[in-house]
Amino acid sequence: CLYFYSSPFYVIVKYLKISEQHDAQMDYYGTRLATCSSDRTVKIFDVRNGGQILVADLRGHEGPVWQVAWAHPMFGNILASCSYDRKVIIWKEENGAWDKMYEYTGHESSVCWGPYDFGLILACGSSDGAISLLTFTGDQQWDVKKISNAHTIGCNAVSWAPAVVPGSLIDQPSGQKPNYVKRFVSGGCDNLVKLWKEEDGQWKEDQKLEAHSDWVRDVGWAPSIGLPTSTIASCSQDGRVFIWTCDDPAGNTWTAKLLHKFNDVVWHVSWSITGNILAVSGGDNKVTLWKESMDGQWACISDVSKGQGAVSTITDTQQIEQ
Amino acid sequence: MSPAGHHPIYLALGTSAQQLDASFNTTAALEIFEMDFSDPSLDMQLKGSLPTSNRLHSIVWVNFGMGADGTGGRLVGGSENGTLTVYNPEDIMNSGAEAVVGQSDKHTGPVRALDFNPFQNNLLASGANDSEIYIWDLNNFSSPMTPGAKTQPAEDISVVSWNRQVQHILASANPSGKAVVWDLRKNEPIIKISDHSNRMHCSGMLWHPEVATQLVLMWDLRFATSPLKVLENHTRGILSISWSQADSELLLSSAKDNRILCWNPNTGEVIYELPTTNQWCFDVQWCPRNPALLSAASFDGRITVYSVMGGSLKAQQQSTADKISSSFDTMDPFGTGQVLPPLQVPQPAAQDTIVPPLKKPPKWVRRPVGASFAFGGKLITFENPKLPPAQSPQPIPRQVFVSQVTTETEFLQRSRELQAALQSGSFNNYCQAKIQNAKSDAEQDIWKFLLVCTYVLTLRLGDARTSGSVSPADFFSQTPKENSNFQIPVSCGKTPHLFLVQLLLILALFKYLTACHCVYFQDTDGLISQALLVGNFEGAVDLCLNDGRYAEAILLAISGGEELLKKTQQKYLSKQKNSISMLISSVVTQNWRDIVQSCELDNWKEALAALLTYAHPEDFARLCDTLGGRLEREGTEKRCLQACLCYICSGNVEKLVECWALHRDCSSPLGLEDLVEKVMMLRKSIERLRNSEVAVQSPILAEKLTCYAGILAAEGSLSTAMTYLPENSDQPGIMMLRDRLFHAQEEAAIGQQPPNSFNRVSVSTAKPAPAAQAPAPKAQIMADYIIQCTNSYLCPYTGFLPHQPFQPQPMSMGGPSAFPPPGPSMPAANLSGPPLPPSSSTPGGLPPMPSPGVPPTGFMPSTSVPSGLMPPSSQPGAPVPMYPGGLHNQGPAPPMASGPYTPLGSGYPQGGPGAPAVKPFPAPAVAPPPTGTCHVGHLFKRSVTFIPFAHVYPNISRYPCDGIPSGGPSASRSRPGPPWSSPGAQCAGWCVTRGPSEFSTVTLTANMSVTCICISCFAQLLQQLPAERVEQKEIPAEHMVLKSTFDSLVQRCQLAAGDPQTKRKLDDAAKRLGYLYDKLREQSLSHNILNGLHEISRCVASQNYQRGLEVHTQVVSSSNFSEISAFMPILKVVMTIANKLGV
Repeated sequence: CLYFYSSPFYVIVKYLKISEQHDAQMDYYGTRLATCSSDRTVKIFDVRNGGQILVADLRGHEGPVWQVAWAHPMFGNILASCSYDRKVIIWKEENGAWDKMYEYTGHESSVCWGPYDFGLILACGSSDGAISLLTFTGDQQWDVKKISNAHTIGCNAVSWAPAVVPGSLIDQPSGQKPNYVKRFVSGGCDNLVKLWKEEDGQWKEDQKLEAHSDWVRDVGWAPSIGLPTSTIASCSQDGRVFIWTCDDPAGNTWTAKLLHKFNDVVWHVSWSITGNILAVSGGDNKVTLWKESMDGQWACISDVSKGQGAVSTITDTQQIEQ
Repeated sequence: MSPAGHHPIYLALGTSAQQLDASFNTTAALEIFEMDFSDPSLDMQLKGSLPTSNRLHSIVWVNFGMGADGTGGRLVGGSENGTLTVYNPEDIMNSGAEAVVGQSDKHTGPVRALDFNPFQNNLLASGANDSEIYIWDLNNFSSPMTPGAKTQPAEDISVVSWNRQVQHILASANPSGKAVVWDLRKNEPIIKISDHSNRMHCSGMLWHPEVATQLVLMWDLRFATSPLKVLENHTRGILSISWSQADSELLLSSAKDNRILCWNPNTGEVIYELPTTNQWCFDVQWCPRNPALLSAASFDGRITVYSVMGGSLKAQQQSTADKISSSFDTMDPFGTGQVLPPLQVPQPAAQDTIVPPLKKPPKWVRRPVGASFAFGGKLITFENPKLPPAQSPQPIPRQVFVSQVTTETEFLQRSRELQAALQSGSFNNYCQAKIQNAKSDAEQDIWKFLLVCTYVLTLRLGDARTSGSVSPADFFSQTPKENSNFQIPVSCGKTPHLFLVQLLLILALFKYLTACHCVYFQDTDGLISQALLVGNFEGAVDLCLNDGRYAEAILLAISGGEELLKKTQQKYLSKQKNSISMLISSVVTQNWRDIVQSCELDNWKEALAALLTYAHPEDFARLCDTLGGRLEREGTEKRCLQACLCYICSGNVEKLVECWALHRDCSSPLGLEDLVEKVMMLRKSIERLRNSEVAVQSPILAEKLTCYAGILAAEGSLSTAMTYLPENSDQPGIMMLRDRLFHAQEEAAIGQQPPNSFNRVSVSTAKPAPAAQAPAPKAQIMADYIIQCTNSYLCPYTGFLPHQPFQPQPMSMGGPSAFPPPGPSMPAANLSGPPLPPSSSTPGGLPPMPSPGVPPTGFMPSTSVPSGLMPPSSQPGAPVPMYPGGLHNQGPAPPMASGPYTPLGSGYPQGGPGAPAVKPFPAPAVAPPPTGTCHVGHLFKRSVTFIPFAHVYPNISRYPCDGIPSGGPSASRSRPGPPWSSPGAQCAGWCVTRGPSEFSTVTLTANMSVTCICISCFAQLLQQLPAERVEQKEIPAEHMVLKSTFDSLVQRCQLAAGDPQTKRKLDDAAKRLGYLYDKLREQSLSHNILNGLHEISRCVASQNYQRGLEVHTQVVSSSNFSEISAFMPILKVVMTIANKLGV
C-alpha cells in the first residue's frame, strides 16, 4: 500500500470518481467507504489493498442523500443514510446483501450513531428543527423519541458524546453495566450549539452554547482520550470554527475558543480517531488540519488543497467512472 | 430586509410612493418588523416606526456602521422629492428620536434606485431622474461623486446595481431599456447596452451573484430578450426581480400577471411558482441572511415572507400543493392598523405527505465539501470544484480522496528505528546511537544501563551462535591486548560507570589469569600446578596463601570444596585487617539489605554497583527495587531517573514505567516514544533472556503501550501498532483496538482472526447476547504463556552454563540433564543444541577426572541455582540453607539428586489458582562431578559454581536459620500473583544471569582492592565480543532484500501462527536467521548459496513456498553443509510453516 510520510502532511493514496458527493465515511475499520450523492444512491466501496471495488449500490432514497453513518461493527454491518426526501434509511448487510432494515420519515439533514455502549441508537437532525432518536429495541423494533423544535428553522448536525461515565473516568468496576449518561450535541440554523442529555428516559436540553452569528453547519464531539475534558468543535456559515471545552465533570461550564475565522462557509468538522486533530472543510474547498499545541493553542498543521500538488505524486490511482 | 450580518432578522418597510392603498392614507412612515421564528404565531412584531415627511421610492439597509454584535447598520431611503435620508435603525426601534443621521437633497427628482456596494459598505449608489447617479460615501455624506458624465439623453434611472464580484463596477439602467456599466476607477461608462428591437421599460437589472461578467436585465416586457438568456413565462410585465445571493440558480421575479416565479436562470426553467393573491407584487427580495426566506410586497399593502424550504414550522400548514410554504404574513405596514389575515390557501388534505419544496435542493443545503477521519489516520475528503455557473445540468463529477494523515513525523521516525532494532535484534547499536544522541546526562545514563542489559542479551544470543566453536581455554591463550574488543563497551561511556567498573575488574582478572597461565611451570606456580594436576587442592591453596596469592587461593578453594573454601577465607580474613575488610566481610556475608536500606541516597551509585557485583541473584532484583523505591520516594526528578536506573538493573519493567510515567510527561507522542523505547529495550532484553514473551501485566504499562499503539494506528502504522499491543489482555479497550487493527490492515488475512473483542450483537434477534468476555480459548492461551514463562526461569540457568555453548557435549556434571528440556517451551533448541543426556563425559575434550575424596559440591553446576527457587522442603534432611539459593551448596547433598523437583509454579503461584500447574521435572541423579582437573579451561568451568559465603560464615548471616522450617525463606519470598510482577520473583529476570552476581566469588588480592571474578560471563563476554563487532557491519545492500524478506516472512508467520509450538519455532527462527545475516555481513557465503538464497527470497516474496522449498533443497544438496547448516534448516522450517499457514 502507498504510504508516504514526507511532507506535505498528507497525500492522496487513492481516489474515486463518482457523481456529486455529499458525504463519504469509512467504516469502523477503515476498509470500506460509503458515499452518498445527489444521484440518490448510497455506494459502498471496498478500499482495502489500494483497490476500489464497488460492493453495494443502495437505492431507496428519492432525493439527494445528505449523510451516511456506519454503526459499530458489533451490531453487524449497518449503515444509516438521510436524504432530502426526508427519509432516514437504515441499511443492513445480511450474508453479503444489503437491505433496508428500517425507514423513518421526517428527517433529513444529519444522522449520527451513538457510542456502541448505548446500544444501537441513532440521532437524526432535521431541517424542520426537530431531532429524533431511534433506538433499536430488538425484534425489528425501533423506539423513536422526538425532540420537537430543537433548533428553530432547522437542525443541521448532530454528534454524540463519547460514552463516559460522569465523575469516574478511570476503569469501571467490572461486572456492572456502567451508568452512562447519554449526551449529544446539535447545531442549527438558530446559530446555536445545543447539548442534550437523557434524564429518566427523556431528552432534555442541557446547555445552549452561543457564539456563532450564523447557521451552525456542523458540530463534532471529540472522542475521549482519557482526559476529563470534553471537547466539541462547531463550525458555521459565518466562517468561524469554535472549540468548546468543559473541564467540569458535571458538564456545565463550557468555554469557547475561536479556532479560526475562515473567509467562507465552514461546512464540516471531523475529529481524528484519537481526538487530537481536527479536519475542517470549508466552502473554499480547502481542508485544513488543526492540532492543539502543548500550550493549548490551536495551530493549522496543514493547508493543502487537494488536487493541487498532492495528487500528482501518485501514479497508480484508479478511477471508478460513474 | 436587514443585511446578512444582521441578526435577528428585521424587515424595514417604507411607505411607498406612487401607490395609494385602499385607505388613501397619505401619511408616510418607516417601520421595522422583527421576524422571530421561534414565535409560533405568524405575526411579525413591530419593532419601531418613524414617520417620514415624504414617501419613499426606495429603501436599502446597509451594513455600514453595524456593530460587532450584528445590530445597527443604516437604513437609507430615497424619497419622491429627491431627498436621500440616512436613518439609524436602532434609533427607530428604540425611540424614534434622532433617527435621521443624514439627509441630502442633491437629487432633483425621485430617487428610485439605491444599491450599496457589497465590498465597501460605506459606498452607496443612488439613481434619480435626469440620468443622475451619485455615489455616496456614508462617512462623508455631504459630497457625493458621480460615476461619470451623465448619459444622454437624460432619462430616469430606474435601477443601479453594483457588481457582486468586482467592486468598482456599477451598472445603471433606465426605463427605456438602456443599461450602462460604469467603471468607477475610470469614471466613465465602459459598456452601453440597449435592446434596440424593443423599446421596453426596463424595471430590473441584476448582476450575477458569482460571475462578474454576467448582467441580467429584466425588461418590462413579457418576452424581452437579453443576450444570454431569455426567461419567458410571465404573461404580463415584470415588476421586480431578485437573484438569490446564496444560490445563483434561484432567481425570483414578480410580474403584473400576479405571479411570483422562481427561475433557474442558467437553464431558463421555472422551478416553481409562489402562491399569491390577486395583487401585483411590486417587490420581491431574498433575505440576505436566511437564504430560504424571501419577502414579497404587494399592492394590497401586504408583505409576505415565504420560505422555499419545507419544514414543520407553523407556516408549514400553509404549505400548498405547489410545494411552496408561506412562512409568514404580516401586519399591514401602512398604518391602517388593520391586521390582514394570513394567506388563505387551501390546506392539502394529507398533511403528512410532505414533499420537498424544491425539487432540487438549493445550494445552501448541499454540502459541497467534506472531510472525515477514519481509522488508521485516513482522511476522507471530497470537494466541489469551483465551477463557473453550472452550464451543464448533469451532476458535477466529484472525487473522493482517501489520504493518509501523518502528523508525528519525528515520532514515526523514531518508532521505525525502534521497530527496526527490535526486529533485527541489533539492540546494542540502537542503544549506542541513543547514548550518542542523548539530550541529557540522565537520559544518557539510562541508555547506558540499557546497553548493559542488551549487552548481556547479546551474550545470550552469542551462546547459540558460537556454540561449539571455541573453548574457553582457547580464549585464555590470548592476551588482553590482543583482544581489543573490550573497546566496544568502553567507548560507550564518557564517565566511569559501573559496567565499566565491572569491565575493568574483569580486565584485571584477565591479566591476572593470563599471567598465571604464562608462568605455569615456574617456581611456586609450578608447584601449584603440580598440586592441581594431582588434585591436591588443599596443598595448592596453602601454597598460594603462603605466597600471598589470595586470589588463586580462593579460586582454588572454590574448586576444592566448601570446607577448603571456608578455611581459606578464614585464613585470609585473619591476615587482612585493613579498611576494606568491612566491605569484604559484607561481600562475604552477602548482607546487602542493610546497605540498600540505609545507605545515603547520594551513594546510590556505589550501592548499586555493589549490588551488581555481589548481590545474590535471588536477592538482587529485590534489592535493586528497594534501592529504586527509596530513590523514587525522594520524589525529585533526578532521583526518579536514578530509580529508573535501578529498575533497569533489576529488569523491573513495570516499576520503570510507573516511575517514568510519574515524572515525565508521557501524554505527547514523543514523550510516549521516549518511554516506549526504553521499555521495549528492557522488555526485549528480558524476553530474550527468558526466551519467552514477557506478558504485560502492569496496568500502567498496558495503558501506555495501548496509547502508543493508538498513536501509531492514527498515523497509519497499523501493523507496527499491532506489535505493541499487550498480548492476551482482556481489557475491552485493548481487545477492541486489536480487533480494529486486525480488520483494518490492508493486507487481509495476515493472521488468524483475533477473538472478537466485543460481542457481536445480533440486531436481527430480539435479545442481544449476554456479555461473556474472556472465552475459553483465551484462557488456554494464557495458560500456555504461563507455562512458558515459568519454564523460562530455568532457561537462564541451563542456557548460561558456560560450557554448554562451547561444548555441546554431554557433560560430566549432569547439569543440564538435571533439567531436561521441559517440553516445547524449553529453549534448549536454540541455546544449547540438542538436549544433553545425563551421562558423564568430557567437557572440553578432557578426560573425565574423577575426584575421589573431594566433595562434589564445588562442582554443582549452575543449573542447580534454580533449585533455590524451590521450596527447600524438597530436600528433607538437608541442612537448612541460609538462602534458598544456597541449597546447592550443602555439602554432599545426595537428596538433591533424588525425588522429583517440585515444580517452580508451586513456589510462585502464577496466573492464579486456575493456571495449570507446570509439569514436575523428574530429576535424574546428579552424577558425581569430577574434580581435580587442573586444566585451565576446566578451572574456569568449575568456577561457575556459585558459593554463597553465608555458609562459610553463618554467624553473620542475617537470616536466622535455626528452627525455621525448611520452606521458610523461600515461602516468605513467595508472593501471590504473577511471577513477573512481584519483586521477589524479579530475580528470575535477566539479572540473575549477570555473570558477576551469579558466579561471583571473591578473590582478594593485595593489589586489587576489589576484584570480581566473573569467569563464566567473562568467558562468554570474550567469546561474544568478536561476533559483536562483526555485527556492527552492515549487511551488503544487495543482500538486504534477503533480510527484509525473511524477517517479514517470519513476522507474518508469527502473526498468523496459532499454536504455541509454531510460535516458538518461529521465535527460534527469528534468532537463527541471525546466523545467516552474520554470514551476509561477513560476506563469507559462496555465490552459489547467495544465488540460491535470492531465488528463495523471490519465491517467498511471491508466496510460492513450494518453489522456495525446491530451491532450498537444491541449495542444500549442492553446498558445503557446514557453511549453511546454521541457517538453512530453519529457513526450511519457516517456509514450511508459511506454506501451511498460507501467509
